[in-house]
Amino acid sequence: MPRIVREAAVSWEGNVARGSGTMSARSSSAFAEIPFTLASRIGIPEGKTSPEELLAAAHAGCFTMSLANELTTAGTPPERLEVRCVVTMDEVEGKGHQIVHSELQADGTVPGCDEAAFAQAAEAADAGCPFSALIRASATVAVSATLS
Amino acid sequence: MATDRTMSTTWKGTLMEGSGTIHEAGSGAFGPLEVSWPSRADEPNGKTSPEELIAAAHSACFSMALSAGLARAGTPAETLDTSATVTFVPGTGITKVALTVRGSVPGIDEAAFVEAAEAAKVGCPVSKALAAVPELTLDAALA
Repeated sequence: MPRIVREAAVSWEGNVARGSGTMSARSSSAFAEIPFTLASRIGIPEGKTSPEELLAAAHAGCFTMSLANELTTAGTPPERLEVRCVVTMDEVEGKGHQIVHSELQADGTVPGCDEAAFAQAAEAADAGCPFSALIRASATVAVSATLS
Repeated sequence: MATDRTMSTTWKGTLMEGSGTIHEAGSGAFGPLEVSWPSRADEPNGKTSPEELIAAAHSACFSMALSAGLARAGTPAETLDTSATVTFVPGTGITKVALTVRGSVPGIDEAAFVEAAEAAKVGCPVSKALAAVPELTLDAALA
């Protein structure tokens, strides 16, 4: 398979406590100059993003595509999938800040698929999603799935 | 204290022919963003992908860790310009993250800057979360 490369860039000014940064999508230009700061990363976002919010976006996107693939392979392609992802960062004793958990909640409209098959597809999607495999280095991943 | 960040995605149709929307960020800082398999696995055509979002997260996290380390060493950064390039091989997974940083840091020499950057590469929370990536490289230099 071909190697796919995606690049993003950040510019940061000043120290970590009072400085600020912006990030941009270099490959797609789909987003540009999104602001972030330490205060908005560990406290109230106040309109600014954070690495953890971007990981939540990445995980939601990656898992959703994986689930669409599992359902299609099983002969029950989805009409619609809604996936919510919550990424948690916490201070771990002796290890500083760590990304400790990612919670995925999938809700689907899938003709011909029952709850058990949908739950099974969600488990397979988690196992097959490249991001789920990686983030388990420091975090737990939980998946729940319901049909609407 | 734990910090939660939430994102939601809607997908319609099959993987190959369908498409998705990553809804506006909980923070309000970006989105909604469109995603699809062809734009993830081939030319982006203006659409982001999970790998590009991981690149954004990693470059941001690394920059914050490096600015913290430089300030602790008594040589706070004026400006850090960081890029992260994530390589994805379908069927295999995410195989590489390449970090590049150029810093404007008064009162520091090249060796001390590289050392601080190496520490940030190891210590930042996103690096720890992505520790299973087979290859993580760093190119660090003063601007």
